[in-house]
Amino acid sequence: MARVVRATASRPRLPHPGALAAAASTDDAVDAFVKRFTSSGGEVATADSERPPDDWLTDFLRGLDPEVVGVAVGPDVPRELSPGLPEVAAAHAGAGISLAWAAVADTGSLVLPSTGTRAVQLLPPVHVVWVPSGQVFARLEDALRELEPELPATVGLHSGPSKSADIGRTVVTGVHGPGRCVAVLS
Amino acid sequence: MRVALFVTCLADHYFAEAAADTVRLLRHLGCDVAFPADQTCCGQPAYNAGRHQEARRMARHALDVFGGAPADPTAADAVVVPSGSCATMVKKFYPRLLAGGADTSAPAALADRTFDLAEFIVHRLGVTKLGDGLAGRRVAVHQGCHALRELRLETEPAVLLEGAGAEVVPWEAEEECCGFGGLFSVKMTAVSAAMADRKLDTLPEVDWVVSGDGGCVLHLDGRNRARGTGVEFVHLATALWRGVAGDARVPADVARPAGVR
Amino acid sequence: MHTGMKDYPSRSREIIRGDPGVREAVTGATIAFDRKRLQGYAEVDAEAWRRWAEGVKSHTLTHLDDYLAEAEARLEANGAEVHWAADAAEARRIVTGLADRYSVTSVVKGKSMVTEEIDLNPALEAEGIEVYETDLGEYILQLLEEPPSHILGPAIHKSLQQVQELFADRLGLEPDGDPDTLASAARQVLRDAFIRADMGITGGNFLVAETGTVALIENEGNIRLTTSLPRVHVAVVGIEKLIPRMTDLAGFLQLTARAATGQPIGCFVSLVQGPATHPDDDGPEAVHVVLVDNGRTDVLAHEHAWEALRCLRCGACLNACPVYRQTGGHAYGHVYSGPIGSVLDPGLVGLHEAMPLPFASSLCGACEDACPVRIPIPELLLEWRREAQEEGLTPWRERAALKGLAGVATRPGLYRVVGKIGSRLGGTGMARALPMLGEWAADRALPKPSRRTFRELWREGIE
Repeated sequence: MARVVRATASRPRLPHPGALAAAASTDDAVDAFVKRFTSSGGEVATADSERPPDDWLTDFLRGLDPEVVGVAVGPDVPRELSPGLPEVAAAHAGAGISLAWAAVADTGSLVLPSTGTRAVQLLPPVHVVWVPSGQVFARLEDALRELEPELPATVGLHSGPSKSADIGRTVVTGVHGPGRCVAVLS
Repeated sequence: MRVALFVTCLADHYFAEAAADTVRLLRHLGCDVAFPADQTCCGQPAYNAGRHQEARRMARHALDVFGGAPADPTAADAVVVPSGSCATMVKKFYPRLLAGGADTSAPAALADRTFDLAEFIVHRLGVTKLGDGLAGRRVAVHQGCHALRELRLETEPAVLLEGAGAEVVPWEAEEECCGFGGLFSVKMTAVSAAMADRKLDTLPEVDWVVSGDGGCVLHLDGRNRARGTGVEFVHLATALWRGVAGDARVPADVARPAGVR
Repeated sequence: MHTGMKDYPSRSREIIRGDPGVREAVTGATIAFDRKRLQGYAEVDAEAWRRWAEGVKSHTLTHLDDYLAEAEARLEANGAEVHWAADAAEARRIVTGLADRYSVTSVVKGKSMVTEEIDLNPALEAEGIEVYETDLGEYILQLLEEPPSHILGPAIHKSLQQVQELFADRLGLEPDGDPDTLASAARQVLRDAFIRADMGITGGNFLVAETGTVALIENEGNIRLTTSLPRVHVAVVGIEKLIPRMTDLAGFLQLTARAATGQPIGCFVSLVQGPATHPDDDGPEAVHVVLVDNGRTDVLAHEHAWEALRCLRCGACLNACPVYRQTGGHAYGHVYSGPIGSVLDPGLVGLHEAMPLPFASSLCGACEDACPVRIPIPELLLEWRREAQEEGLTPWRERAALKGLAGVATRPGLYRVVGKIGSRLGGTGMARALPMLGEWAADRALPKPSRRTFRELWREGIE
């Protein structure tokens, strides 16, 4: 630290330029989120408001290819948002079900606190994430500012499926994390 | 408009006819062209090598030759340089090099009234139409990096070539460095040659490759001839003068820079 | 990890001549990255973003002592432990000490340039610890025992066929697997490693002073796993990675991704504040942050080079660089290659050691245009060249030639005479008179001087 003090001693201290004046999108935040998230390879589903959400989710998971048999559900996901499928350890689950703290429009991101258990968010090949209504922020900056007072140990921002182009410049999905990431809007 | 020609050492010795075409072109556009006889090299080779002391001496010499006080009735209105790189040396690097010296206003004043050839014609003279002498000719443009990224002359050469009747063909590697870089091409010769290869390998079907930077042309054409790629390189000044005068008025050996066979 | 920067001229020649596949693969990949960056920049007011980012980074660097103190206090309040490493050896000792303290036998790593810089893997392996690089590209290179060639795509110099052969040999796959098959084979090996590992080691893209947040950007999810599954997480972070606030981070996460790959943000971002404390959190019980100097304070104290510490390690300058494209990173002989390496390395390891990297550039300026924090790379290269000349680190012939040029160019009469002699000598004569041109001429036909100089044409009258 003494070396840092010495190294900066002779240089004038420059001011912080203030907030980045990013243009706010004119789109509706939810529409903008959907556009961004899907263009990064994420999928968006809208729960059928006529049916109980757990039933809808159960059918949705059964309809996936391949059909999900066992699921891992985050501890913070309310009972009425959990599917009626057998629960298994995340490492063996066909899908992980999480509850996001929020979604972000300008980056197309889901904000996932570590209290939702990370294994559920990361290990299954499919990750299905409930987005609480009214919790879609226009800008990442707004979301992080709001989250800051209650930051958990870790926050994950998931903005699409796991991807790599390290082999022959061909994009492959599901390299380490989930190969499918589905945001569910209610 | 009184113009002083800063011919640059490279054009003086390797592109003498292109320099002469610069004079013809400027006179055709109504300029009164002077050639201060004591001019030498702008000093860029020393500056790029990090030898600032030598570069500073050469910069001061150029200031003595071209930097006539604004009140001087014989002083030129503009200094025109038929080389984007040397123009950049005067416009961008002299002020940097001579910052902290006794007189910083002289470098700034010279920088303000010095122009790359294409920059001068388009922005100072406001001319983009030069005739139709290049009608039917397909050309690719190699823009030197200094003109492109320091002077931000992104479209000027192409605009003028089109204004002289040529068809400017898009080139995948148009904005990529050719690998000359002065001393770089001597010190890192294999990388430099590979960079020229990338340019030559991506070249579209054209009659000429036109460039306003002699250094780039020496290097690119040197590689072109060593490989036997068989493309013809033409200095921008020569191409534009042909646009004005047509083929008839230009003797065959004048149309191409010396060294191009 | 450096293999000697002084061999850049010969090594670059060997790669270009001896292994043309490298040039082809690197050129293709970097041009593709560069185009994506341009698209990514075009979607926002990139100029304003870059100026802002330059401002925040410069502000932070000129207040680095304050922000480091703030970050340390916050991290400790969050339950993380902070360690200070003055150099690579100390950083290695800290990490191997932690491995010992937690009885670690197996480590998974997220891609990190700084752990390459401090040569961490061999130190861990010497303690009998198994180390898995988990980024797909890094994993390929670990099997090949090669250093990374690019900040972002460490294995961009490898073709599909080379990876097929490698996986056939090492993982027993059929030699014609498509990228999906190859990646899923690697996933299986590495998934086991994740489950088995006691310690996850990462770098850090940013460290937010206000919240003590280590921010990590990636696309594969391996870093999220590395910071989540093992019981200990160690983040090795250069001291220049600080930024003041969480709201700053929002801008930097986006700008870094746009500069690197044109994406609006990396597919996964981990914001790590400390160890898991909530009963439902299955994350690591201990988080350690190792703050590494290793030459950075020397760079910070340097009159000009300190600007290079703004670097976000996005790789945009490598992708834009026509010099880098010919060889990839290995020619440079240091973990930080390409334009940013050529300005950073002389500061980190000493100019003498880093020669001739400041000369490994044609000064075309494409790097500066690409840089998300507007590091004036060509200007910094020129400053290093000036220092190299002052310290006598360049060949005497070159110095003599340039002194001679200045001597001639400031005496117009002499200049005219010498110019004329040069013209009369012709290309071959010039090559004989100036031996430096010999190498030039090996790859190029020599230029032929004009038959008459412009000066002569002018005297005779131009019509």
